[in-house]
Amino acid sequence: MTTMSYPTAVGKLSYLNAVGNEIYKAMRVAWSERVQLIIEVPMFIVFTLLLGPMLGQGHRIISTGTLNWSLSSHTSSILFVWFAPYLLLQLQVTKMFWRLLGEIQSGTLEQVYLSPLPSWLVTVAGRGIAVLTESIIVAGLLFAGVRALVPLHFHLTPSVLLPLALIILVSIGVSLIIAGLTLVWRRIPMIVEGILILIFLGSVSAIPVVTMPGWWDALGRLFPVNVVLTNLYGVLFQGRSVTTPWGPGGLVWMLIVTAVYLAAGILAFRAGEKIAKRRGSLSRY
Amino acid sequence: MTAIPSPLGGPWATTKLQARLTANETTKGLRLLQGRWRSAFVAAAGLALVFMGFSIVVGGGFDRPLMALTLPELMAVAIAQTAALQGVGGIAEEINGGTLEQSQLGPAPHSVHIAGRLAALAVEGLVMAAALGAGFALAFRLHFHLNPAVLIPALLTVADALGYGLIMTALTVRISSTGATVHVLNMAIVFFGGMLVPSTAFPHGVEIFARFVPTTLGTQVSNTILSGHPLSAAWNNGTLPWLIVHVIVLLTLGWAIYVTFMRRARREGGLSPR
Repeated sequence: MTTMSYPTAVGKLSYLNAVGNEIYKAMRVAWSERVQLIIEVPMFIVFTLLLGPMLGQGHRIISTGTLNWSLSSHTSSILFVWFAPYLLLQLQVTKMFWRLLGEIQSGTLEQVYLSPLPSWLVTVAGRGIAVLTESIIVAGLLFAGVRALVPLHFHLTPSVLLPLALIILVSIGVSLIIAGLTLVWRRIPMIVEGILILIFLGSVSAIPVVTMPGWWDALGRLFPVNVVLTNLYGVLFQGRSVTTPWGPGGLVWMLIVTAVYLAAGILAFRAGEKIAKRRGSLSRY
Repeated sequence: MTAIPSPLGGPWATTKLQARLTANETTKGLRLLQGRWRSAFVAAAGLALVFMGFSIVVGGGFDRPLMALTLPELMAVAIAQTAALQGVGGIAEEINGGTLEQSQLGPAPHSVHIAGRLAALAVEGLVMAAALGAGFALAFRLHFHLNPAVLIPALLTVADALGYGLIMTALTVRISSTGATVHVLNMAIVFFGGMLVPSTAFPHGVEIFARFVPTTLGTQVSNTILSGHPLSAAWNNGTLPWLIVHVIVLLTLGWAIYVTFMRRARREGGLSPR
């Protein structure tokens, strides 16, 4: 295969232009899906409110057949902090999966290779920003919805932007891993759903809402969002510094986990892409 | 448009042809499943892990009485999830691949396509549900009052889950991004249907809302029978009649949306990639 090299100045321009186009395209797609917010937001508000009283209460259900459904401000605040980053991950992964699958099926994925950008960057560039925008809107509406029913209290400081930025990178990494799997196996929506719920369940050990077995906590440290969630909890509820290097949710471990997931995502995507290219199945179904 | 009269003969011949076409659709769906049995196996394993995870998070460990109450919903979720996600994935594949247009060239009416599609999804979901149900019941020695009457709510729950899957499948014909929304709706089924805690433990208002969610009523009726009550108890407390109504409404709604959106897509050229 012969590849054309771009003159440097034009190369940079076309590079930026391609990124801009991808972002614009993804934002247009996201706008066309705005009605989904009507379904997503109320569901997430109800989950956030009702999950708290259920956690660790199985024995009570068996003995009395019911639960104490009173809403605690503290628990709801923690659950909001648990849900908001997970939302980002969920939206990033599901949107990435379904759009990529659609592009594979309709054959437009092959066109990605006409772009001067690396294929993995084309895959995440626009979608990442579109999903981030949607997540911010959903998280804002979630906050407003939950706040309307129960007061939420946490020490919000600008420093939380660091763990939030890292969660975005981790989400991109996870979504690229899923994208890599999609390139090889394609029809895996149930696996995607299973992985998402397992990540959600695994992350429960990052926040003190229920006592989990020790092995669960140990395993949970390897889950994508746990260390960042622990850091967020420390900052928002314990007044810890976001840059504390060591300890649970420490900056160093947080950076390592983020880098590992992002690198694993890029590698998984490239591996999946390589297999799909070898099979000639980037578009064939 | 010029219509060519069918050379098929009388109504009996038409019925036979439709049965054969339905069987063909079902066989096609099952052959496609055969091609992705590994991912179906991994999905079932994932669902098993999710069930155990929820048991620990809600029950504080493997609380067997709680697991016995939530296992029927796990089985229902397996069917609903399969019907919705594979239904949406299947029709999206046909739209994007252009084969949905081709299917309109055949003599099969919409009802045949729907029946064939649902039958294949039902088999896939039922195999997964049966494996999960039997696996957990045996592994954790869960105790149930087994009564053949439980087959009635079980069948109705399957129909309910398929109705939900059909609605999602039909929506995909019109709204290409339905797939991502299905994940949120599936979470709602897991949450309200009774896989975390039985839906009867919800506050009254939430329980009423939960009963509108697919599979919730089916699981409530199944749990009534599996806890030793006769079928008449479910009839008397109103859950069984509402389950029947729920199934009829979901299937009718799914069918109506499917037919409407297919007609509209044909008119507007929306059967191929948008």
